[in-house]
Amino acid sequence: MANNWFSAPAPVARRIRGYFAPVNRAAQTPTLFDPAEQGGFNLDAPPAPWISLGWIEDFSRKATSKSSPLLTGIPAAPLEQVRETLGAQVSLQFLSWTKLTMALATGSQHMNLLATASGAAPSADGAQAATAVSPQTGSTATSILLTSADAARFTPGSMVALDVDYTGQTGFVGTPVAGAFVRQALTDVDYIRRVTFNVALVSQVSQTGLTLAEPLPGGTPALGAKLQAATGFVDREGGSFYQEWSGLFVLQGSQGERIFYHYPRLQTAIGAEESLIPLDAKNKSGQSKVFLNGHFLALPVTDPLDGERVVCYRSFLPATNALV
Amino acid sequence: MQNAKDSFYMALRGRLTTINPDRTVLLRGTVRPGILVEEAEAPVSQFPNDVYVLRWLGLGVDMNLDTTMAAEECEIVYQSCGTQSFGGLDRGRSLSEMDEELVAMLAPFYTPKINYSSTPPAAMLTQVFWDEPTITPVNVQRDRLSRSAKVMVYSYQEQGE
Repeated sequence: MANNWFSAPAPVARRIRGYFAPVNRAAQTPTLFDPAEQGGFNLDAPPAPWISLGWIEDFSRKATSKSSPLLTGIPAAPLEQVRETLGAQVSLQFLSWTKLTMALATGSQHMNLLATASGAAPSADGAQAATAVSPQTGSTATSILLTSADAARFTPGSMVALDVDYTGQTGFVGTPVAGAFVRQALTDVDYIRRVTFNVALVSQVSQTGLTLAEPLPGGTPALGAKLQAATGFVDREGGSFYQEWSGLFVLQGSQGERIFYHYPRLQTAIGAEESLIPLDAKNKSGQSKVFLNGHFLALPVTDPLDGERVVCYRSFLPATNALV
Repeated sequence: MQNAKDSFYMALRGRLTTINPDRTVLLRGTVRPGILVEEAEAPVSQFPNDVYVLRWLGLGVDMNLDTTMAAEECEIVYQSCGTQSFGGLDRGRSLSEMDEELVAMLAPFYTPKINYSSTPPAAMLTQVFWDEPTITPVNVQRDRLSRSAKVMVYSYQEQGE
């Protein structure tokens, strides 16, 4: 009778895939990934609230934890080891430029360039914005109902940002992901919409409102949320805010096995920078791809299982029929 | 290794049927999907146009692993003279169409390994997998445009193979 198992060699993988999920900054609660329960997910449709950032390149991870021996006796000899510091770093290149990949690859707030009011004075991160409009009752994550006059202010192919007015709040602001930390009250009523991650592309405009090409990350518009057109994004070198997200990286082997690297808390470690990769290796001065570089510092969480502080979980789901 | 070669061919054949069911060839009196294996057909001086021909070339083996890995190079050759209704002036478009179909056929880059020499075919334990293709420039011979793509196909040798 033929064996129904095989001896699995080292995993062979072509590429690595990256997923990120928000950390609740105010409550300091990361998004956790359970490989036992969720490990078989469709790589194109990750479980909520994980967001696929597609394939990534030049992924590398490095443990920066340091251990040292505890020496006793004469002559001194190691009795045991103690972990003196705990840490890890992750670096990668994003293959696309989106709101989220740009934000992850910058060490500070990542802001939306709101469409400006007519005649507004120029400003480096976007001039005074045109007045926001209020979605009507019945709006959803992909359909924003508006009055016909408000709908006429938007065009298919444009972007929109949706969040509440800034009314003097301090602390973390932005829904569903904290986009900034406000230390002292500001005067810009549009500030939260400038930093919000609740953005989407408009695919259709009708007299009754907008149809979005992708669902708003924040879901159905919250009470009091307002909508503004956005023309692009801007980030700055400097500032005191650090992006923090939960990260998940997946290597799928040739036999269906999976390796997961789950970092519950990743903070962007450096400012924005890019890499230019020539499309044609023989013509290095020709057209080049512009990749976003991401460098992250892993922060610890306390594992409720046993109270240990850890920065990363590595999981392995073997191939079907593979000996373990 | 024959099981890996058969599985690769059958995977591409099945995918081609979905991608372009109209790409067929009449071979030995039977209409089949327009993809065939050179070494499994009668020798001919000229393969038919608008059909993919798989030609197995190099072989490498890594015996240092727990399970021996075989790497077999497959060259996929195809050519077109365009269609009669356009007097062959659409031969470039025809070849582009075949390029697109080939790229689509190769994804995803793996397929279950199946023993097609048994009846019915028996699923094996591992998967056959391959790399991205290396596609050659177009070769022009009068009104015939031809091209080939080379793919390295990997598989693990299972017990009994």
